[in-house]
Amino acid sequence: MNFKYILLLFTSTLMLSSGLPKNIQKKVDKEIKKIFEVEEFTLDPMVFPSEVTKELAADFGENTLFTIQENEKHLGYAYVSKAPSKTDDFDYLIVFDTNFIIIKSKVLIYREDYGGEIGSKRWLKQFIGKTQGDTLIYGDNIVAISGATISVRSMTKAINDVLVSIKILHEKQSF
Amino acid sequence: MKKAILSMAILVSSFGFAQTVSQDTTATRNQQQNAAQNILSGNISKGVTVGGYAQIDYNQPEGQNGKLDVHRFVMLLGYKFNDKVQFVTELEYEHVKEFYVEQAFLNYSLNDNLNVRAGLMLVPMGLINEYHEPTTFNGIERPNVDKSIVPTTWREIGVGVSGKFNEASLRYQAYIFNGFASVNGTKVLGGKNGLRNGRQKGAESTVNTPNLSAKLDYYGILGLRLGLSGYFGRTQATDDMDDIDGADVGVAMIGLDARYINKRFSARGQYIHTSIKDADDYNALYATNLGSEMKGWYTEVAYNLIPLGREQKLDAFIRYEQYDTHAATSKAGIDRNLSYNRNEWTTGLSYHVATGAVVKADYQFIDNAVTNNKTKGQLNLGFGVWF
Repeated sequence: MNFKYILLLFTSTLMLSSGLPKNIQKKVDKEIKKIFEVEEFTLDPMVFPSEVTKELAADFGENTLFTIQENEKHLGYAYVSKAPSKTDDFDYLIVFDTNFIIIKSKVLIYREDYGGEIGSKRWLKQFIGKTQGDTLIYGDNIVAISGATISVRSMTKAINDVLVSIKILHEKQSF
Repeated sequence: MKKAILSMAILVSSFGFAQTVSQDTTATRNQQQNAAQNILSGNISKGVTVGGYAQIDYNQPEGQNGKLDVHRFVMLLGYKFNDKVQFVTELEYEHVKEFYVEQAFLNYSLNDNLNVRAGLMLVPMGLINEYHEPTTFNGIERPNVDKSIVPTTWREIGVGVSGKFNEASLRYQAYIFNGFASVNGTKVLGGKNGLRNGRQKGAESTVNTPNLSAKLDYYGILGLRLGLSGYFGRTQATDDMDDIDGADVGVAMIGLDARYINKRFSARGQYIHTSIKDADDYNALYATNLGSEMKGWYTEVAYNLIPLGREQKLDAFIRYEQYDTHAATSKAGIDRNLSYNRNEWTTGLSYHVATGAVVKADYQFIDNAVTNNKTKGQLNLGFGVWF
């Protein structure tokens, strides 16, 4: 083994340790493995010009949207971000297929007691199948949860903003 | 071999690159409007939280002078030490001049499904005790079932666990609380407002026997949320009294509640049943009239007159409630007082001018089971905020 390979391996190890905090990374990996039934995959961050992202309703800055690849095969996209709950914020994940249709949404970390009901698997199912042409309206096509209004509104707005932003990015041919 | 090592190195490299999501949890990466609403420190996952709620009421009973009141003004103050440890307080002024600590507890989050908490906490019983902010219920006044049967805002010092199961859409809470005082200063428990006088509220409270409280909430059917609450124990007697017959009573309270929302229509209801043991000895000792059974229920429907998708909401609602603090008295050694078997119709409007701010108007018809009792009317106006 010559020196450059050792250096490359060493660099690889460093990069692995500089990624997501363990808890977020673990949860994202677990979901993607489960959804696509794959063991090995890569998440490649998509980068858009800042003059484009600053106009978007959702945050499409560095390290928010990723393509999910299994070797050369494109499986879909993953979007990781935060949205406000009543007194804190929560981390969430949206997984899209290759046509940007939502196939899964999940609350990764919820940090307060109030509003944690939005983590309900049943409630989050409502977002499956939604895509960039859809408008999500709290209380209308997204059903409320009594006792969790603030977080339900927030999650609905967050996903709606992501869908609207994807539509704009498509129109600007950013993909 | 060299090729294999190189390929592996590249694969690991690309995996490494792919995972470099900047998850700096101290940065407010997503600058949404209300992300900073309660965070003063600018550090989103650690720091001080402020918030609060308030309601200002005007009550105008028919044929009497009215009342203007800064009914409640509550400041929420919390501190998050890290993602696992949080201290939460609610400091309350009632009627401008009465000051209370409404909640003060330390919460330790072990994992997604389990929190351990201790301190002054709300007893999870029925709807309003836990969700009592004025923007979350219709009508100026809280339902009277949530005053005379469930003594809101009911809080005591205790310790317990809470958590959620996302797969099952289930929330649970279970606590050991201090109980009601058998005698609170000069106030005793009685027929007029049940256990309400016994609330110790964490103020130099007497404790001699633990009480158990638990609640399960199920929200796995879209739009529907169901609750089952239980509270079991005995009231607390002071040292000089606790060997005497009638120094305390047993309390067993069960609650069922439901909330439903479907587009512009919403409905809620609850049923609370309380059994009191040894009320006869208690009544004999303290010359009072505590019933051996209390129960109450209400049902409410509402319709939002403003189309969905707008920030504002205008709910027209009607509620019927019936509650009896003398539902049974024979085992309590007292005569049943039919004026404690009360019912009310409440109808009105809740105009949510912004998310978190509501202007309310309603009219109440208040009656009881006494023959020929004349129904009393009362107009209520006011506003409430929650932020």
